[in-house]
Amino acid sequence: MTAALLLQSAIIGVSIGSIYILMALGLTLMFGMMHIINFAHGAVYMLGAFVIYYVFFQGGAPYFAAFVVAMVLLGAFGYFVERSVYRPIKGGIEPTLVALLALTTFLQAAGYPVFGQLDKHVPPVFQGTRNVLGVMISVERLMIIPVAAVLVVGLYLFINKTRLGAAMRAIEQDKEAAALQGVNVHVVNGLAFGIGFALAAAAGALMAPIFKLDPMMGEQPLLKAFIIIILGGLGSIPGAILGGLMLGLVDSIVATALGAEPAFLLSFVFIILLLLFKPNGLFGYAQ
Amino acid sequence: MRSRIAAPAVLVVVVALALLVPRLGDYYIHVFALVLINVILAASLRPSLTCGQLNIGHSGFMCVGAYTSALLAKHYALPFELTLLSGALLAAVVGLAVGYPALRLRGVYFAMVTVAFVEVIRLIAAIWVPLTRGNSGLSGIPKPNLLGMTLTTKASQYYLVVGLAAVTLFVLWRLERSRLGLTWKSIGLADNLAQSLGVDIAAHKLLAFMVGCFFAGVAGAFYAHFIRFLFPPEFGFLVATNILVYNFVGGRGHFVGPIFGAIFLSLLSEPFRGSAYETIFFSIAMLMTILFLPGGIITLPEKLAGLRWGRAASAPTPSPAG
Repeated sequence: MTAALLLQSAIIGVSIGSIYILMALGLTLMFGMMHIINFAHGAVYMLGAFVIYYVFFQGGAPYFAAFVVAMVLLGAFGYFVERSVYRPIKGGIEPTLVALLALTTFLQAAGYPVFGQLDKHVPPVFQGTRNVLGVMISVERLMIIPVAAVLVVGLYLFINKTRLGAAMRAIEQDKEAAALQGVNVHVVNGLAFGIGFALAAAAGALMAPIFKLDPMMGEQPLLKAFIIIILGGLGSIPGAILGGLMLGLVDSIVATALGAEPAFLLSFVFIILLLLFKPNGLFGYAQ
Repeated sequence: MRSRIAAPAVLVVVVALALLVPRLGDYYIHVFALVLINVILAASLRPSLTCGQLNIGHSGFMCVGAYTSALLAKHYALPFELTLLSGALLAAVVGLAVGYPALRLRGVYFAMVTVAFVEVIRLIAAIWVPLTRGNSGLSGIPKPNLLGMTLTTKASQYYLVVGLAAVTLFVLWRLERSRLGLTWKSIGLADNLAQSLGVDIAAHKLLAFMVGCFFAGVAGAFYAHFIRFLFPPEFGFLVATNILVYNFVGGRGHFVGPIFGAIFLSLLSEPFRGSAYETIFFSIAMLMTILFLPGGIITLPEKLAGLRWGRAASAPTPSPAG
């Protein structure tokens, strides 16, 4: 592998890593507050990509308008899922996980009759390539990085600087105490669902012009996000960001050298070893 | 009281099925053999669930058992008794390797690792082409044999799976009724309390998980010699979630729940087996059960009885755990 190829893989790795970060952030946020893992995250990613297909490609709307539509629609869907699935189960973690699993398989399977059996393609939004540090990278992939960065910084500011963000942090620390201080736990949990779903939709919307679209397309990013949040430590937002970048780089470089499947197997073996020796993840804390 | 009646009832149903089905013709033999494979899979997930561990990777262990048994029989012409046992043992060993690191942590880690595991096994089966023939599929798997006799007819193979299911259910039922089963149950109900009483919860969770993997390997081994063609995507995430669905929809409060769930759902979804509508049906059944009938279908008679006697008599929903 030449230095140029390595650099090229690294930049693409950061771009893929940005997608993984968007996926992992929502998962880790929802885990921190509600101690659940949203298995439906991959299906939401898929739906985000299909919103781009229908609103941008079929509907002719500008790409960024379609992007916002995807985030808003699926964010609202997230709130609805909290209201109709999470809340009625009343905090039972195992039934919630299974219900979210059922939602996932439902959305994936319903995708075939609704979207059609054939793979869909969205034409490129940003044409051409650009010279970065001496290697050529497609603008399409490059654009993912700033968009994801804006969303990550926005989430960071929201959580740390607003009253609603403070309410989310309060629930993460102690749900009952937060409720006693007047935090409407249901609404704020719903908001966390909405934010998580919107970020997953954003990830799918960013990838829509790059990969083919099919109802199962969310499975791989979901598994990557699982690996990232185990790597970074469940509930840790800095862990999700660093883990996402690391996995993106490793994935891209190993996949260029050996192929995509060995890259995935390698990351799984790494996770098993990590759980053996550092069970709370690289940046996590014991609970 | 209920279990005294239920256990012999299940036995009667199994025996009745065994006697009646082969008269219906090859199509029904095939369908009911698949139902019995699902019964073994569903029942073998139960020990893990009893400990409160959500295993979403059961089809991965079935896959290990299937390929092991098929390859040993195909290349070394070993008898089915031996290949079945090897497949099941290897599935249990793989369960040990995955479960040991993951089960010491809180449940969600385990759930996530098992989801990733399904994909890992599927990928290994898909890319290790010299051994597994990859996505072209492994064909030419010998028919099962028993005591040196090859079971050529569908009916005889069906009797074999009836026997395997009966042995599996008997062993799992005895385990559940034993002291070990009670310990598992105590972990599922309150693991910190169990730990405070001196129960090694990590070791017990691991044992429950490995027992499940062993029988998933048994189901896989029979499947391999019955279908005689193995294809990596057949062991994906959807099969694993279906096994969970049998448990939750059937009901987790009693040993017969998963068995009933597997029979009921497999037969009901038979008209659209393999299509997207099968998954849609399973998903809706699962969501509806969790939201409206948390104890599963086996609690339906109680619920209906409660309704008939009016609100005053309606008992609170039984705990789905354990």
